Amino acid sequence: MCDHNHNDPNHVCTCSDNPLVPQVCKVIKITAETPDVKTFRIQTLDGKKPFAPMPGQLAMISLLGVGEAMFSITAQGEDWIESSIKRTGMLTDALHEMTEGQTIAVRGPYGNHFPVDDCKGKDILFIGGGIGLAPVRSFIRYAIEHREDYGHLDVLYGSRSSADLVFKDDLFENWPKVEDLDVHLTIDRPEEGWNGSVAFVPAFLEQKAFDPAGKKVVLCGPPIMIKFCLQSLLKMGFSKENVITTLEMRMKCGIGKCGRCNIGSKYVCLDGPVFTMSELDELPDEK
Amino acid sequence: MLLPKEKLSEALGALAAEANVIAPVKWEGDVFFMPYKGGDVCLEGNGKLPPKDVLFPKTEKMYSYSIAKGTMTEHNDAAATILFGVRSCDAASIERLDKVFLEQGYKDGFYSAKREGLAVIAMGCDKPMATCFCTSMGIDPMKAEVADVQMCPVEGGFTVEAVTEKGKEIVKKWDSLLDKKSKAKPAKVECSLNINVPEDFEKKLMDMFESPIWDDVTKACLGCACCTYVCPTCYCFDINQDVHGDEGTAFRCWDSCMFSDYTRMAGGHNPRPSKKERLRNRYLHKLAYYKDRHGKYLCVGCGRCIANCPAHLDITAFAEKAMEVE
Repeated sequence: MCDHNHNDPNHVCTCSDNPLVPQVCKVIKITAETPDVKTFRIQTLDGKKPFAPMPGQLAMISLLGVGEAMFSITAQGEDWIESSIKRTGMLTDALHEMTEGQTIAVRGPYGNHFPVDDCKGKDILFIGGGIGLAPVRSFIRYAIEHREDYGHLDVLYGSRSSADLVFKDDLFENWPKVEDLDVHLTIDRPEEGWNGSVAFVPAFLEQKAFDPAGKKVVLCGPPIMIKFCLQSLLKMGFSKENVITTLEMRMKCGIGKCGRCNIGSKYVCLDGPVFTMSELDELPDEK
Repeated sequence: MLLPKEKLSEALGALAAEANVIAPVKWEGDVFFMPYKGGDVCLEGNGKLPPKDVLFPKTEKMYSYSIAKGTMTEHNDAAATILFGVRSCDAASIERLDKVFLEQGYKDGFYSAKREGLAVIAMGCDKPMATCFCTSMGIDPMKAEVADVQMCPVEGGFTVEAVTEKGKEIVKKWDSLLDKKSKAKPAKVECSLNINVPEDFEKKLMDMFESPIWDDVTKACLGCACCTYVCPTCYCFDINQDVHGDEGTAFRCWDSCMFSDYTRMAGGHNPRPSKKERLRNRYLHKLAYYKDRHGKYLCVGCGRCIANCPAHLDITAFAEKAMEVE
């Protein structure tokens, strides 16, 4: 789980070889993305990266004394990982009350990852809605870091209002500067000072009329948005094999044992969270 | 080899002197697997509960932590245990649990520590109960999977066969008690409750995912989850924390797919919102999903869910009914 030397008798460690035991870490930076989304930058107590995830993988994050839940890892650096978390329940409420420097426990990385190799040499259209940009961002960052491996990149993102757009630095500053990468933004309702598009993500997607030739799509957002975006993509001529998404389920163990995140014979924590739309067609309708 | 009936207590006593022995014992009118403290064991029926909690306790401490000190201490102490009197159904369930906890990418450290220290003395079953249907699930009542020692009831005592190295060590301790000249052989046993599920039953079940049969079979279900607690192959668990001020202990405990909270997510969405989806998931996990992943049914035909359901739900009756669906 970590790169510490557990055989060294002088080594005092907070982590374990047991995949169910987390390592104690600290939150070194908290960024308020929107009124209800914060990004937490996490590092081990001795200043290291807890683990090195692939894009799309998950981390089980626990606030000691409160609880544990699974989140996507939205970014990683030399000595940190980051998760962006929306305030929705008891644990996330407590996480949002945290201050920098506080301890947090993490274990992972869990699950499969975005098909970074299959997408090599292809154009990629990244589509996100709301907090759904968080998992997608891990792949966008990877594609930018390995820019020469991928063709043209499009990021199409929408949220309820401009205040609800997550990762504003990336959307307005960092990503537009990347070569051969276009950012397309939309919000649901008109508002003063917003000169960009006003439309729901599926309608905005149809306006853009992307060419499906040589293009992979990564699509994450609320279920209703995914449903209508998929219809739009199929209309444009994309095939389900080339549309990739992630699933969410309640999870406790993260390693395919505790039972609850199954859809048919697949465990979302183990066999997912990344699936193509054609793979999802094979599973029972119980999402 | 034969262990005479009157030598059984002595044989178990010899093992209990050196190791933790768990055996079926009569307690308040029912048979339970409990630490053997001498005296008679009870070899009637299957036992009220399966012995799965030897490997997968109802509640188990995982780790303790101190928030202020930033420390994390793992709890994982497993004593060598001999499990005596295990029926073929319950022994098969250990093999099914092994696949879940020891395979598919991650080894569960808590389970594997206990499993490595476990020796299984299986006991053939010559009087299946009215609710037993293990033979329909491909299990031989007289020959158990994962047995280190296989014993079978015969006239005057029990046949004894050491199956593994661990088993040989056990039988060595019984050297002076065994009648080595005995040629006694166990009789062949069939259950009276039979279902003839076809080879590709799982495919048929998956094709009827949307069938109205699920509404029918769920009608009587109370959602009490009794079936999952008495089941030898049910392994779902919850992870939670017991907190006292600055310090806490994380533990896991049995959970049940029959509870609505089991799959309910933050924000309220529940992919299995009613008893219908939950019972369908349970039956399909037993008869289709697990087979798809591991090649076998996750039902060993012990009949405990049939015997204990307060609403008289019966998985064999469901299977019969499912086979009739067009």
